[in-house]
Amino acid sequence: MARRTRTDDRRRAQRRKDVLHGRGSGHREQDFRCAGCRLVVPLAAPGTAHRNHCPTCLESLHVDGRVPGDRAAACRGRMVPLSVSVRPDGEWLLVHECRSCGELSANRIAGDDNALALMRLALRPLRDPGVPGVAHGALLAL
Amino acid sequence: MTITIDTFTCVWCGLTVHAHAAGGQRRNHCPSCLHSRHVHDHVEGGPSDCGARMTPISIAVLRTGDWMIVHRCVRCDELTSSPVAEDDNRLILMRMAVRPLAQPPFPLEAFGDL
Repeated sequence: MARRTRTDDRRRAQRRKDVLHGRGSGHREQDFRCAGCRLVVPLAAPGTAHRNHCPTCLESLHVDGRVPGDRAAACRGRMVPLSVSVRPDGEWLLVHECRSCGELSANRIAGDDNALALMRLALRPLRDPGVPGVAHGALLAL
Repeated sequence: MTITIDTFTCVWCGLTVHAHAAGGQRRNHCPSCLHSRHVHDHVEGGPSDCGARMTPISIAVLRTGDWMIVHRCVRCDELTSSPVAEDDNRLILMRMAVRPLAQPPFPLEAFGDL
């Protein structure tokens, strides 16, 4: 049975937040906390100007609309990595899917992204062939 | 009695495709080249006024193991995902699935130790 620390049913009012997150304040200006693994991630990333996902678990947060950094989305849901796409010039893109509203977004991978997590994501279609025989049939047809 | 045949013409390869796949569900991409058209607005719902071509960019795998094709609109960069039909071109499906492994951005030798 869960322990109850508060015996009365009156709930304390939420504490007023006096620290402004984001630009202009010293706190959480140069980093963010990952929604998936709770690690603190610096915003500066090698190879990309704007990082939008955690380099460790590759999860992201649905805060932007169509333009990166516009903070136009009111969803704030967790975005999990869905697949890896490749640009014609060979750059990898990470496709995220919002767990809350189902929106998809693509972002270039950063230089310090977890190579093992990226490789697991890239190998996922080959590991479990979902549509029966699609992967095996395609391999046999080659 | 009139027989209506529900078909559409692929905007990329020009193939005339039956609108229903073999399983009975409605297709939204060409089974030959896997290209689609941006006719449905996935953000607000309802029909989209874009109507441009959508190219397949990657293969996603659901928790159930089903494959999904991720499409990107060439005009407005909208991303959608749609399930794979049974008669989709397996060569192109497989080519998209192994495409990331052809040019990995990091050396793969380190994975041999794991």
